[in-house]
Amino acid sequence: MWIEWGIGRFGGKYGHGTTPGMFHYLWNHPMAKYIGALGITIPFALVLYYTYIVSWTLGYSIFSLTGKYLAIESYQGMVDFLSAYQGKTSNIHFQDLSSAYLFFLITLGLMVWILSRGISKGIELLAKTAIPLIVLFGLILVFRVFTLGTPDPAYPDQNVWAGFGYIWNPDFSILKDSRVWLAATGQIFFTLSVGFGAIQTYASYLGKKDDVVLSGLGTSSTNAFAEVILGGSIAIPVTVAFFGLTRTQEIAQAGAFDLGFFAMPIIFQQLPFGQVLGTLWFFLLFLAGLTSSVAMAQPLMAFLQEEYKIDRKRAAWLIGVLVFFLVQPIIFFLKFGFLNEMDFWIGTLGLVVFAIIEVILFLWVFGPTNAWKEIMSGADLRVPKFFFFIMKYITPAYLFILLGFWFFQDGMKVLSMSGVPEENYPYIWFARFLLSGIFLVMIILVRFAWQKPHLIQRRVPK
Amino acid sequence: MTTEGWVFMIVSWGVIIGLNIYTYTRILSTKSPSKKD
Repeated sequence: MWIEWGIGRFGGKYGHGTTPGMFHYLWNHPMAKYIGALGITIPFALVLYYTYIVSWTLGYSIFSLTGKYLAIESYQGMVDFLSAYQGKTSNIHFQDLSSAYLFFLITLGLMVWILSRGISKGIELLAKTAIPLIVLFGLILVFRVFTLGTPDPAYPDQNVWAGFGYIWNPDFSILKDSRVWLAATGQIFFTLSVGFGAIQTYASYLGKKDDVVLSGLGTSSTNAFAEVILGGSIAIPVTVAFFGLTRTQEIAQAGAFDLGFFAMPIIFQQLPFGQVLGTLWFFLLFLAGLTSSVAMAQPLMAFLQEEYKIDRKRAAWLIGVLVFFLVQPIIFFLKFGFLNEMDFWIGTLGLVVFAIIEVILFLWVFGPTNAWKEIMSGADLRVPKFFFFIMKYITPAYLFILLGFWFFQDGMKVLSMSGVPEENYPYIWFARFLLSGIFLVMIILVRFAWQKPHLIQRRVPK
Repeated sequence: MTTEGWVFMIVSWGVIIGLNIYTYTRILSTKSPSKKD
């Protein structure tokens, strides 16, 4: 977190809000800017499928309000509901993709509108409105969970406290399992938006004397409050109270989607004011997702504005049009594993690879003393030197080990398409082709941008 | 929930809430970050 804030503010001093420019100043090598193109590719590719997923939460928020899924009482019923919504199947709830498409267009329109309003009037206003609302909705839901007790007296073991026990009772033996470390790292990378290239863009808007140590700490502590205290007190405890511990473990292991989209709607139906609570829950997820979508689109916005001098509104519209066209295969080929394939390369592998590059460039190439000075400049807090050691040695070593594990555990399987039905092969290759194409286009854009004389004017003073 | 579970939860919540109070108190006592459009 501090490394990304440091790189971002450093790049901002030289008029660059994206990693091609930032890396250029960190490393005096022609390749640096092209490696930096990854810092635009990753967030933009994420926006493509993330915006679509975020639109599902908007849809479910409206379905909760209107009671569209109220008649569904079984878990499998909710699985079928989402499947039809996504166009994988057709049933009485959804015959085609029109609902999913409509909510996607609304979400995309909102994102473009916020981006077109700029940093202060768009992104900052969204954050100032959405974050307090997320906390408020979260607190209401947490209060409801805490007062739930044992919903069915016939099953005294199924209660909220058993759910909290599932989360908090320590089991140290599980620390020997490498998959737990991988999952925890993936979780914290994604929730903090580390390795995306997005934090650097936000940090580039800070002044020379603004405090990146405090800002980084504030980001991490706010995130911990939202995901550990609020998130950890809602979904799992309430699912244990209604489904029991064994079933909850199965649902949780199947993924966050299963918990959020299948289990929660069933539970809301069994609670007083369930429709209102369901609306709050999905709207909370929508607001959280929308702030992330906007953050991930901002690097490309900044790149187009700074390096190509495209004005804000045009840049926002351009991104909107690009997302609209490029998201089509994600929507229509979802059932062939298109989205999952993109998520592996970007949301799993891409984040770790980019984080390794950042750490090496900042701490090893730019120099540990320079990097530490850059982070500490303007800092209100004195960070213990212990963190210097962590940043320089522990972080890259840990990330390399993690990448190795990923490669052998998942990477080889993904590369060889192990377990993928043969009829899905063309779609998987198409997803890989699309991602490679986006990266190639970003590299070409960087190359053309660097041919303009007004850009790189001076090197970092020694 | 076991006693260890309660201890883990209360300590973790305490650290997170404490860290939030500390950082936001410090942030609010310093000047606002720069803005750019």
